[in-house]
Amino acid sequence: MKVLLRNPRRELEIAGPITVTALLQRLELNPESVLVIAGDELVARDARLDDATNVEIRPVISGGEGTAS
Amino acid sequence: MKCRVCRGPAVIDVRRHNAAFCRDHFVVHCREQVRRALSDHHMLGPDDRVLVAVSGGKDSLALWDLLVELGAAPDGLYLGLGIGEYSDESGQYARAFADARGLTLHEVDLGADWGFTVPDAAAATRRVPCSACGLSKRHLFNTFALEHGYDVVATGHNLDDEAAVLLGNVLRWDVEYLRRQAPVLPTAPGFVRKVKPLVRLGEREMAAYCVLQRIDYQVEECPMAAGNRHLRFKDVLNSLEDSSPGTKAAFVQGFIERGHAYFDDDQTDASPDLRRCAECGAPTTAEVCAFCRLRVRATRS
Repeated sequence: MKVLLRNPRRELEIAGPITVTALLQRLELNPESVLVIAGDELVARDARLDDATNVEIRPVISGGEGTAS
Repeated sequence: MKCRVCRGPAVIDVRRHNAAFCRDHFVVHCREQVRRALSDHHMLGPDDRVLVAVSGGKDSLALWDLLVELGAAPDGLYLGLGIGEYSDESGQYARAFADARGLTLHEVDLGADWGFTVPDAAAATRRVPCSACGLSKRHLFNTFALEHGYDVVATGHNLDDEAAVLLGNVLRWDVEYLRRQAPVLPTAPGFVRKVKPLVRLGEREMAAYCVLQRIDYQVEECPMAAGNRHLRFKDVLNSLEDSSPGTKAAFVQGFIERGHAYFDDDQTDASPDLRRCAECGAPTTAEVCAFCRLRVRATRS
């Protein structure tokens, strides 16, 4: 599957099927810091992602010194 | 994973509540958290005119959407910071959101209206850009609200923002900043009320809210904020949260409910002696306010 990461923007190819939790562990990403979007849909941590899915891992952390985004 | 409310398939978990939600019930959850923040902290009066500080990012657009849903009828103010393509795109997201919903978006542009940008100010002061950015936002949102008859400025500071700021303030034992860190800063001469209705919601929840409500927002991080202290504090807090869900909420809510009282005016005797800025008339402790001093330095270089 194609996995889009941001900040910096880049794309990885990862073999599926794989659960969201396992994908984040493999990429060493903290689940508190990202959302996982499969196609156009938000998916929970136990969701299974198949090989044909386009996945975006979207960071949710933002902001300067005490200013809101 | 099933929705805590309807037992349908969940799309997001909120571990600090030991819960997961489907789309519809997650939206209800977010509205309920904002409604509780508004109520618990008496943020809005029934006739208040509300101005949302809009950046084009997830928090401010989600906040604007939630306040509209809750009947607050807010307008928005977008402040152009002059940070190249990032600011251009952020403004486009803010305008598209307002246009699609028929909402009023005011705009102020640092470069066009005040003669300098955040990168100009950072270069002139040789300080981190976030410092000039935050100072300009605080000054200009307050000034605009006063001049246009708004009673309240609502900002998109969320639970993670508050936790990171609180961690920084505690690490330095900055008593004055701890005194001023609250979900509501009340109206005072020269200041409109400032409220933070997202204080009960984390930024992962706000990003999820935007995705589920199909709100397009600026996903890319501000290029000037990369690697700053605030983001490092958030990383640390999220590591704690991952191993111990609820840590951030306990930190912030505990401070609001039990800790803040120790830093009140009576305890610290830190009430500043304010006068009017000789340049713009804004309240300040100096002859010229910090924003006007910044503007002079940034436009001189």
